[in-house]
Amino acid sequence: MVTYIVRRLITAALILLGASFLVYLLTAASGDPLEEYRASSAPNKQQLIDARTELLQLDTPAPLRYFKWLGGAAQCLIPFANSCDLGKNIAGQPITDALGHALIQTLTLVTGATILAILIGITLGIVTALRQYSTLDYGVTFMAFLFFSLPIFWVAVLLKEFGAIGFNDFLRNPDVPMATALGIGAVAGVITAVAAGGAMKRRLLTGGVAFLFVSAVLIYFSATEWFKNPGLGPVVIAIAGVGIAFAVTLLSAGLKNRKALQSALIAVGVGLVVYFLIQPLLDEATFLMMVLLAVAAVLVGLAIGFLMGGYDRGQSMRAAALTSFLVGFLIMLDRYMQAWPSYFNNSRVRGRPIATIGASTPNIEGDFWILSLDSFTHLILPTLALILISLAGYTRFTRASMLEIMNMDYIRTARAKGLSERTVVMRHAFRNALIPIATIVAFDIGGLIGGAVITESVFSVRGMGFLFLDGIQHIDPNPVMGVFICVAITAMVFNLIADLAYSALDPRVRVKA
Amino acid sequence: MRFGRISKAVGVAAAAALALSACAGNSGGTTPTTAAAAGKTGGSATVVEVNAFNTFNPNTADGNTDINSKISYATHSGFFYIDNKLNVVRNEKFGKMEKSSDDPLTVKYTINDGVKWSDGTPVTTADLLLQWAAFSGYYNDADTEAKTGTSYFSYAGDPTGLALTDFPELSDDGKSMTIKYSKPFADWEIALGGPGIDIPAHVLAKKAGLTDAKAFVDLLKGMPRGDKAAPKPANAQLQAMSELWNTGFDTKTLPADPSLYLSNGPYIVKGVNQDQSLTMVKNKDYAWGPEAKLDEITVRYIGDSAAQVQALKNGEADIIAPQASADTVEQLKTLESQGVTVEVGNQLSYDHIDLNYSGPFAEKNVREAFMKSVPRKDIVDKIVKKLDPKAAPLDSQLFVPDQASYADSVKNNGSSAYQDVDIEGAKKLLNGATPEVRIMYNKDNPNRVDAYSLIRESATKAGFKIVDGGLGKSDWGKALGDGSYDATIFGWINSGVGVSGVPQIFKSGNDSNFNMFSDPDADKLMDELIVTTDKTKQNELITQVDKKIWDSAYGLPLFQAVGVDAYSDRITGVKYMPNQTGVWWNFWEWAQK
Repeated sequence: MVTYIVRRLITAALILLGASFLVYLLTAASGDPLEEYRASSAPNKQQLIDARTELLQLDTPAPLRYFKWLGGAAQCLIPFANSCDLGKNIAGQPITDALGHALIQTLTLVTGATILAILIGITLGIVTALRQYSTLDYGVTFMAFLFFSLPIFWVAVLLKEFGAIGFNDFLRNPDVPMATALGIGAVAGVITAVAAGGAMKRRLLTGGVAFLFVSAVLIYFSATEWFKNPGLGPVVIAIAGVGIAFAVTLLSAGLKNRKALQSALIAVGVGLVVYFLIQPLLDEATFLMMVLLAVAAVLVGLAIGFLMGGYDRGQSMRAAALTSFLVGFLIMLDRYMQAWPSYFNNSRVRGRPIATIGASTPNIEGDFWILSLDSFTHLILPTLALILISLAGYTRFTRASMLEIMNMDYIRTARAKGLSERTVVMRHAFRNALIPIATIVAFDIGGLIGGAVITESVFSVRGMGFLFLDGIQHIDPNPVMGVFICVAITAMVFNLIADLAYSALDPRVRVKA
Repeated sequence: MRFGRISKAVGVAAAAALALSACAGNSGGTTPTTAAAAGKTGGSATVVEVNAFNTFNPNTADGNTDINSKISYATHSGFFYIDNKLNVVRNEKFGKMEKSSDDPLTVKYTINDGVKWSDGTPVTTADLLLQWAAFSGYYNDADTEAKTGTSYFSYAGDPTGLALTDFPELSDDGKSMTIKYSKPFADWEIALGGPGIDIPAHVLAKKAGLTDAKAFVDLLKGMPRGDKAAPKPANAQLQAMSELWNTGFDTKTLPADPSLYLSNGPYIVKGVNQDQSLTMVKNKDYAWGPEAKLDEITVRYIGDSAAQVQALKNGEADIIAPQASADTVEQLKTLESQGVTVEVGNQLSYDHIDLNYSGPFAEKNVREAFMKSVPRKDIVDKIVKKLDPKAAPLDSQLFVPDQASYADSVKNNGSSAYQDVDIEGAKKLLNGATPEVRIMYNKDNPNRVDAYSLIRESATKAGFKIVDGGLGKSDWGKALGDGSYDATIFGWINSGVGVSGVPQIFKSGNDSNFNMFSDPDADKLMDELIVTTDKTKQNELITQVDKKIWDSAYGLPLFQAVGVDAYSDRITGVKYMPNQTGVWWNFWEWAQK
């Protein structure tokens, strides 16, 4: 195994060297760095040309310049020496600084989107695999391919137009007319009816309920100006919590496990009590506190499951822990909603919360809730755009992989020995279906950093993509190389991880060395 | 047993609650303090720029980008600024700049009392002297060929004017400075002292280990002019200062040391959010120039034009000036219904076709014939009319319509002969000849390709054989002036203010005189021009040169690039400006409704 890894690392280093040489030469040859001065009528034209030539060392041939650059870059390998030198960009900023900043910008943009895309994509993939050739399957496949084939700059512009500008206009006077409410309700009803599956009667019933529910909620929201003063309140949290308890138990332990269900329900009860107790503490929230609270919620859930006892404690603990985490999330959501009016009326936001550009409102001041709401309103559109585009891949892969597994002999065996469908799907099929997906996810994470160039430019985020484009525009290899190195290293590392993960997950392909 | 466990759990929970409240933020309640901002009358505006701010010194070769100059412009003041009619406007409240003698040209700068940096230090001639030292390159003795000597300040501008001056005469009170030119310099008015005196000498002096600004002045006084031929060892203190000047003000965040971003203008930088935004607030001391109305100006950086338009529409931006394209202008026009004002105008850069004074164009008749066949109106219709319905062909090689002298010059320069395509006239001049003409242009620039196609179509009718000499983005610039073509279409930028650029293009044998235009009379006029200090006289001379150029059938200016800016109904006072200062030129007039 170790030899295998070492061999892979050595090849990776060689590939990196060769590729970086190529990229450097290509960038250097991609244009004329002095173009802006060539036709200049400035009296000091020659002086400007000289300055640029010196800055970019244009009098050294590109291959030699590469080795100069390599000499600086090689110092990055010396640990703790702090002598990393990737050169400077045209504005005189060290590339290491620029990269550090750009990396953070890009990661903030893509991390949430990737995680959500993976979660939603895998869920949709499993559901469509289980309901192969149903209306739902066709519907999801159609939507997935539709979004997959849309150019992201266009999706992004549309999202800005309707999701930000249109929605902000709506928020100015959040009034949903009766007809619109009924219309949205009807759409929701149809979608639910299609998704529900089963006999026509069941579909009609669920569809009808969804229609009535959504319409009623919208009319209620409109009448109480909920969009201006949103909130969940203990009642909604209680109802939703019970729903979560049932859903979580269904998936993790099965409803037949009464102890697990009871633990989950107790967790909801505890959550409701905590809801009232914790409000003053939440007013003082910090990020660290939220993390600790999340950990505490999980621990409390585990404790509840443990105390419930029973012959399979683990299942109860798992169900209660997940439930209490999700209820905690609801409580947090409610607190965000409480902060919404003051964010909405903030003098910097001026009643137009959803942003089209950047990562935050300049000069905004406020507590944890206001500031993180500000981040959310800025991230929501790019995240949505990225999710829509990358959803298709995950959905289709999971579906294919799941279908293949579901037709395996051992699944038939599992069914034959009388296991519940839940156990068959969740325990026997799903886990094995994840193996190929794990590799795809690893690949995707490797490509993340360099993969959002267009999204970055449309949403005006100055991340890695911007750095790269800016370098290309000025025929300045330094920033391009900086980005290239980062992207190439992550891609290679994650490729390696993908391979290792595969062999760890699937004993059949384990390398013997 | 059970109870024991539960009470333990309660104990743990209580301890955890305590620990959590310990790590709580101390920001207090939920509502941010909006009252402070709402109480003032000034209001705020958000301006969008394409590039991100990266230095407080916009004069260096690295820092010389639009955005840095604009921030410097808003945070510093000086003896003059340039208005949107391209006039030099004096700011007498800051100080006086007077020409006390024409021969030798002597200019006296006097800074008014009370003008000070935001740390309370008065602005003195030491600051002006620092600018002079940096802009004139007086102390440089570097020889790039021999690699000897020292180059101190890496100044991006043109040093030729101030290089004619001797060490200035300084008054004892530190308020006035007189510089004497060894020969007259036409652009003396904009050579020094504005639009902003941006780097404080006392800060630089202190950081370089000198006691104060006075020590700095004494140091400079003691040093002789740099001589390339006889380089001296570098002066350590001046070198320390010049290094600070060159790179010490480069930053992407707000420096911890406030002396690195001192203001002496209407605004002072309050916050810099790397690559996202920059915020300026009013400098409360400022009283030596046009008074600013807004309390706060925030600059945000958006590269993409469409994103700029949407940000304006969504209220995230109040003033934008995106790169003008047909799409952008159209998108902006649809916003007019929501109260947005769109201003479309000319920029200083213009496209032109130049004919080489050699090859098939050696004869004037052929050049004239070619010029008659260039469909300038069609080119304008096709390329710029969709952006600016008022657009018309540019009729002067040296003036732009924003300048007052344009109309006068156009009347007499002979451009009227080339208003419309005259195929018959061209044929007559060619007299049956069919010269082969290779036209070089940047074929990656769609506007140039359009212009080329229209010219080819029309010139072919007149009997020319047009050869497509278009080159790619990275090659056309190098090909300029190498004789591989007969005519070329490309762009120039009119300097707007100042005349030093004129001989650069049109004088015999000069660097940017790519088509080898040579006219002894014009040369003589340009020699006179660059030593003429009187604006009216300058314009007369330029008018004469313009006529000479047209008379010799040099080629044709085609059209000016179009610029656009737009602002929301929250803001008033924004006015279009053709030069690179853009809308910022009158930022003090911006106000919130």
